[in-house]
This record gives sequence, C-alpha cells and structure tokens, in this order.
Amino acid sequence: MGLLRDWHYVERAVEIPALSEMIREALIRALFVRDDRVLPADIVADLNRGPAVTVRVKDDAEVRKLVRVLNGQESTVSLGLSAEDYHYFRTRLGVGRTREFGLTARPKSLLTYDWIVPEQRGVQLDFSAYAGIEFADGGHRAIAQVGAPWKTLYDEALARDEALPVVPTVPLDFAIGDSFYGDAPLASYRGEFASHVNGLRTISPYGHRARVGFEEVANNGTAYDLLHATLPLAAEFFVPVAVALRLEPKPAARKTLTYAFDDGSKVAAALDRLTRSGQTIAWVHVTDASAAKVLRPASPPEPFTVQVSVGGTLTGLAAKEKAVDAAMAGFKSKATDVPNPFDGPAEAYRKTAESVGRGLFVGEVRLPAKAFGDFAGRVRSYGEQMAAKAGLYASARGTGTVSVFPFFGAPKDRTKAYDLSKGVNAVAGKVPGAAFVSRLAHLWSEDPPFRARMDFLRRLKLEIDTAHVMQPLVAP
Amino acid sequence: MASLDYAHRRLVNTLGPERVARGEFERMVYSHDFATLPKIALLQWRLYPDFVVLPQTTEEVSALVRLSDESELQITPRGAGTGWTGGAVPNRGGVLIDMRKMGKVLGVDAENRTVTVEAGATWKAVSDHVEARGFALPVIPTNAVASTVGGAINSGATGFGSYRGGSLRDSIVSLEVVLPDGNVLRTASDRDADGHLANLTPLFFGAEGTLGIVTKATLRLAPQPEASRALAYALPDLAAGATFLKSLVDAGAMPFHAALLDRDHFVFERALRPDTPDPATIVLVALQGPKDEVSDEEKLIDGLAPKERGSKLPADLAADLWSRRYQNYGARRLSRGLIIASNVVPISRLREAVQRAARIRDRLKLNGAIQAYLIDSTTAVLAPYVLLDDTRPSGGTALGFMKKMGDAAFEFGGHPMGLGLFFVFNLRKMHGNATPFVSSVKTVFDPRKKINGGKTLEVWTKYTWPGLRAIPPPGMAVGLELAAILRRLKPFRDRFVRSYETAREG
Repeated sequence: MGLLRDWHYVERAVEIPALSEMIREALIRALFVRDDRVLPADIVADLNRGPAVTVRVKDDAEVRKLVRVLNGQESTVSLGLSAEDYHYFRTRLGVGRTREFGLTARPKSLLTYDWIVPEQRGVQLDFSAYAGIEFADGGHRAIAQVGAPWKTLYDEALARDEALPVVPTVPLDFAIGDSFYGDAPLASYRGEFASHVNGLRTISPYGHRARVGFEEVANNGTAYDLLHATLPLAAEFFVPVAVALRLEPKPAARKTLTYAFDDGSKVAAALDRLTRSGQTIAWVHVTDASAAKVLRPASPPEPFTVQVSVGGTLTGLAAKEKAVDAAMAGFKSKATDVPNPFDGPAEAYRKTAESVGRGLFVGEVRLPAKAFGDFAGRVRSYGEQMAAKAGLYASARGTGTVSVFPFFGAPKDRTKAYDLSKGVNAVAGKVPGAAFVSRLAHLWSEDPPFRARMDFLRRLKLEIDTAHVMQPLVAP
Repeated sequence: MASLDYAHRRLVNTLGPERVARGEFERMVYSHDFATLPKIALLQWRLYPDFVVLPQTTEEVSALVRLSDESELQITPRGAGTGWTGGAVPNRGGVLIDMRKMGKVLGVDAENRTVTVEAGATWKAVSDHVEARGFALPVIPTNAVASTVGGAINSGATGFGSYRGGSLRDSIVSLEVVLPDGNVLRTASDRDADGHLANLTPLFFGAEGTLGIVTKATLRLAPQPEASRALAYALPDLAAGATFLKSLVDAGAMPFHAALLDRDHFVFERALRPDTPDPATIVLVALQGPKDEVSDEEKLIDGLAPKERGSKLPADLAADLWSRRYQNYGARRLSRGLIIASNVVPISRLREAVQRAARIRDRLKLNGAIQAYLIDSTTAVLAPYVLLDDTRPSGGTALGFMKKMGDAAFEFGGHPMGLGLFFVFNLRKMHGNATPFVSSVKTVFDPRKKINGGKTLEVWTKYTWPGLRAIPPPGMAVGLELAAILRRLKPFRDRFVRSYETAREG
C-alpha cells in the first residue's frame, strides 16, 4: 500500500507557502481528482510520473536482484537481460540520472481506488505468476506466495481437510498479497487478517531474504512485533513475497445459515445479540438488497440478508443452529439451502466477483453492531440524495464490531469516488461509534495523536529502508 | 551526571518523600525478578537501582522521564517483576519505576465492550472487576495473580484463553505510553478509526519496556461464558499427553485452555500440599462458552482420550486443578529458587519437544517439571521449570537449562520467549536478516536509549568504560553454555524433595 507515501506527500505539500493557504482537504481533493488547474506544475509532474517498467515475478531471486540494482549495490548488467531488454530497461527507468528508483507491487484486484502519488518512474512488480502454495504436513498452516489467488488457497485448503479462516467481506478475486499491497478486506469472525498471520517472507531493502515474524509458530516475546505493526503497510517497508498463515482443521460438519430481515434495526439487534452469545462462528456476512442482487441473482433480494457460517460436530451443529436462530430473532425467513458463497467453483466465483467489482466502493466503515441499522439507513438516503444507488456488504466480528463496505451504482471516476467518500465520511460521523477508515479518511485526519503515530511509522520506514527502494517517499 | 543526592531531591520534589526509596532493603528487593540469579552476576551488572519510585499518574511518570534528562540516570520500568529474563531489573542502577501504584481499573465501557485500566493493575484484579459486571477477559496471563497489565504486555505474554479468544495482543485496543521524551502517545484509536492502518500497539507488545512506559491500556472484553467446565485426563506419559493435546487441535475442539502437566509437577506439589492428587501426567482442559457447545466439546474430547490411553479423572479433581491454575510454581518453596524456560514450539512437534525437554532436564541433573499449553492452531507454549538453590556453588549453573531449551525450541521451528537482559543472544536467531529492522524500532522511539537501555537488543554492563560497556550477545550464550557443561559434570543431582528422588528411582 502507498498510504505512507501519500500521507507524506500531503504533509509536505501543505507546507509549501503557495499551498499553505489552501485547506488541507481541498488540496487532497485536488491531488486525488487531479484538478491540475489549482496545482503547481511540479506537483502535476509528480502525479503524472507512473512506474516505468513492470516486471512479472517468477522467482524471489529476481526481486532480490532487482532490489540490489535499484539500491545501487549492483549494476543493471547483473540483471542478465538480453541486449534489447537491457537497453529498454535502462532507458525507461532513466538509469544514470541522479534520482531514486523505487519498487511497488501491483494489486491483483483493488476494491477502492488507486493511490495518489504513483511510483516515480520506478519498477512495478506483477506477482500474478508467483502464486505457489505450500501446506505443512499435520501443521494447520500454509505458506502462500503473494500472487496466489485467495480463492485457490481457500479451495486447496478445503481439499486437504483444512479451513482458511479468512474470507473477503466483499467477494472480489483478490490475491493473498492484496491484503498488504492492496485493500483486500479479508477477515474472520474471530479477527482481522493479521490475527491469522504467523509471518511474512520478505526481501529486505538490501536484497536479503528476511522473515518477519515466524512461519511455524506465533510471535510472542521476541521484542517489537514488527509484523503486526506494519502488516497493512508491509509493502512500504520490505517486499513481501509469501505469507505464513494459520489454518484451522476443517470441521466435521459445516452449515451456512441464511436469514432474511426486512429492517436494518432488526439486523443490528440480531448482530449485537449474536456477538454477545460467545458462539464459535466462522464468519457472519450481511448484504442489503443491492448487494444480494449481485451475489445471488437467482433469488429475489431481501432488504437485508445475514449469512452465518458455523461448523462443528454433527451433533453440536444442531444445537449451535438453534442458538444462532435465537440470537437472530426478528428475522423474516430462514434458509439452510443457500450455498456457502465461497465454496462454489472458482470460475463461478470469479464471474460473481466481476459483477461485484462494478460497484463504486469507497472504503470501510467500522461501527458497533448496534449502530448497523442506523448507518445502513443513512447511507441509503445519502445514495438517493446523490442519485447513486447505495448498497453494502458487511461482516461482523466477535468483538461486536461490524465492518461495512458501502458501494454506489455510479461511474468509477475519481471525482465521484472522492465526493462519495466525503459523503460517507459525513454519514459515519453522524452515527455514534462509527469511523470511516478508508485511505482518504486517513489523509483527511488532522487528529494530533493519529499524526504522531503516522509520523512514527514514517520514521520507521526511513530507518528500515535507508536505501529508499520500497516505495520511496516523495515530497513536492 | 548530576549527583545522586541532587537526583534524590528532584525525585522527592516530584513525588514526595513517601514514594521515593533509596534504602538498601528496597533496592535489594528490586534487584531481581522471578528468576534466581547467582551473586556473581553483580560483577557484571549494577542490579540494585539507585532509587525506587512509585508514580500514581501518567503525568508523574512523564515528569520522571523528563527528570532523567537532568540526572542522566537510566530508567527501568517494572510491574510485579514476574518475568524471568531480567527485563525489569536495572543493569546500571538508575531509577526503577514501580508501576503498581497505578493499579486502578478506570472503567468498563459496556456498550463498546472494553475496559480501561492503569498499567499497574493485576490481571486478576481486572478479571474480577469485569466479571462482576457480566464480562470476561478473553485472555488472562498465566501468572495473573501477580502479573500486572503493563508487565504482561511488555513481555508479550500468552495465557489462559489464547486458544479460544486469540492472542493477548489482539485483545488490546490501545495503550497510553509515556515516550522517552516525556510525551504521551496513544498507540491506536479506541474506535478503531485509524487503528487499522496506524496501530502502533504491536510494537509495544513484547517490547520489554524499552520503547516507553505503558501507563494505561484499553482491553477488549468478551461476554461472560454461559458455562465453564474443567476436565482432567491422566495420560501414561508426556509423549502421550502431547499427542493428546495435538489431537484436540486436529479434531477442531475449541477449548478455553488445554495444558499438559507432567507427573513431577504433582510430586513437588504433593510435598507442599498433601491434598494434591496422585502424581500422574495430566492434561487439564478448560471449556467455556454456551452450554450446548461446552457439552458437545466435552463429548468430543472424551472420545479422543482413549486413543492415547488417557483416562478421565473425576470432575471435582479437575475443578480443583483449574481453581489452582494461578499457583503453578509453588515448588519454588522447596528449593530457594526456580527458573522457567518459556518457549513456543509448533504443535506438530510438541511430542518431540516435551521429550527433549525431559531429556535436557535429566542430562543436566535438574529437578523440574515439564508443562505445555496450546495458544493457537499452530503454536504451543512449552514452559518447563527447574528448581535451583543459588546459595550452593552449583546453583547458577541451572541457568544453562534455559539456553539448552531455547536452542531446542529453535531446532523445532519455534523460539524462546523473552530477551531481557540475559537472552539477547537469541535475537539474531529469532529474526535472522530481519534483526536490523527490529533494532530500527528502538532507534526511532528511543535514540538516546534512556528507557531500559542495554537490554533486548544489546547487553550493557555496569561499566561505562569503552570496551567494557557492553557484552557481545554471543558472550552471554557462551557463559550459559559453560554453565550447562558444568552442570553436566556435576556428579549428582540436587536433592530437594525425597519423594521426587523416590519417584524417579521407581
């Protein structure tokens, strides 16, 4: 992810005397929507300067070599390119000029929008061909290369009687690496994606293979937990090439319970009860009618649908279903024959993902389960007001937090994305306990404690990546 | 450096005379943690602090940190001192900040299911407080009676409930930390507003107090379980016990806690308490959750036990063992000291690991017990303890056990827990090429190494002369390896409990 770079750029831009008069938010808008009329030429040039070369990674040794070349340890000759490629590479990159070259990774699927400041004529890594998965024998864990599609890992785990605990709240065709160089919302009822990660295999800014965290065990009592502190931004500190994930044994029996609700406030009450019940649940997903229409086109859409995935022994499952039914009190109808949306064939999943991806997503809103109905109602009215039909995908955590991903039926242009983000931010601000946590929201925030934390992360990045190779910071 | 008398006056001006101590006795009390150290260690480190101070507010902690700019005295934050790696003992004297006066539970937010506490509160106190309000802590460190919230966070602790409730790190919403410049930092937003992308809490989890002083924590709460039940199974030996623990994971059971206690532990316990059950290798499982789920899990686990020749023990005995879960190291009273070698190992190799631990204990002629518990679907904590008497010349050689256990943990794909002052040599083995990244964190937060300096990443001595100011971490490893060799050369085992010897001969 390039959040640190974008944040740093904005922070520095507001220091420019000519721009310091501008309200921070107005500047961010101009940068995001590319309103070049109000931006100085230098800034426009920065925003126009995209990655010069894309390298399709097949082996982490290639990344190591590339890092060594970009940080100046080795010359481009050591890349072993043919004369033609060599010339192309050097010309495109502008090797020989006095400036830094950075590396960035290209997400397979991006839920929201691209970053503001592109890699400044550096190298973009395409990991789509670096997609191997290793399973540990008898160890309930897997090491997935970052290009591995999430769905492949899920299917292969099931075939080996294991269960991948995390599933995407918005079912797009994500790669595993999209969790740290993209914005894949992978999570389970028990926790965020990071809670299920033991470690990362990375390439350091010096071209070494470096393991952050551990592969076979959890990280406890080993000094600062760099893994979990940097995971969502890992690609700004090192090049993650594989992730060691904890799996769970596949339960003897699994069931997806589907409840239809006609009212958001009833969903909210049900989610609140469920998250206070202490039940072990794999995931809980909520969709409104707009999302349900995309996900399950064959069934008539209900105003709200809650799907609860439970597992356990055959005998235990019946009792669990009863308990979930009780927590879901207020539902209009219940179905047990709606298939688990993630269990279907990969091709069908991809097709659905394509349809889901047509919506304009603005990012995540986190809120207490109780506030779900209030928020859903407000977002719907906001969509109507903006003539962009709103819908939402959501997932609940055992902690009582619900992650909501609103989307709009609007053309995917940056101006629209910005305006709708602003609107969702305002809506979230009116719901007690809700917080909009999109990338734009992070850039808008002028909260001093938040800025202090970001500053520490920025300094940590500069300390780790002294060679300025991993998405180097750019200042206007 | 300002004189100690001047520093004392400044400290007294800040906190008042009753919360600043410099007497020999107080300083001696704070010169060690739970681990027993041989006196010879005083040649290397100034383990006695110059002053012990007891702040009551974040502002006071901040003032103390700022004072150290004047006095140039090192700062060592400390909770209850239940660690065993020297993280909470001074290495160059200085000011030791005992956080236990900051022990209040500040409030439960029932709506958002969180509790905010001061760092000096013990986990047991917090647990009791939230239980009285219908909640439970998802994870409670194993030594919850004494262990403070700040102490456990700083040591990256594991505990009861990890297997079902997730890591202790994940149960922390945010921390309030006094940084080395005296400023106060909130490590994440309580509303998760920006915690998602700018959450510094993990950096402080396991930091051993080297980045700043944790003064408050907001913790997640879980609903109080509808039912709780303890189960105990007697297994023929350690290997069978370890396989049984693994079978719980493979079968998809979700216990609140599942631990393996070897028979020697009960031999020691019986020497202290006659009502201890007959010594046997026991797997203790605690179930918590909805009533139906607990019954279902019990049936599932009951079905797994016979495969490992395990037999279920009476419910009252299991309940008794569970109620005594916090009093795990009573054996310390049998000798004069005790050390615990805490390591994490993959569950897939737990069987080999417990057997290796027993072999190391026997080879080093130590009295000790092997214990292990599950913390997630891949990881188990292997925490054997051994008795030692540091008043005997050979007492300190028992520390070689920690080194040998750590080496074994690495060999199995795990790692030892804690670096502190004594085990810094493990840092590179833990993190390999990522070690410089880990060190970068300290550089960013505490470039002048004011807070708990000379630990975790490097080993300072009490000397400030060039060449002697630090020990190369491998030097410590050599020392402990030597201790293990001396221990092996020792012709006979220490005798602390006659019944232990009888049991072993039997």
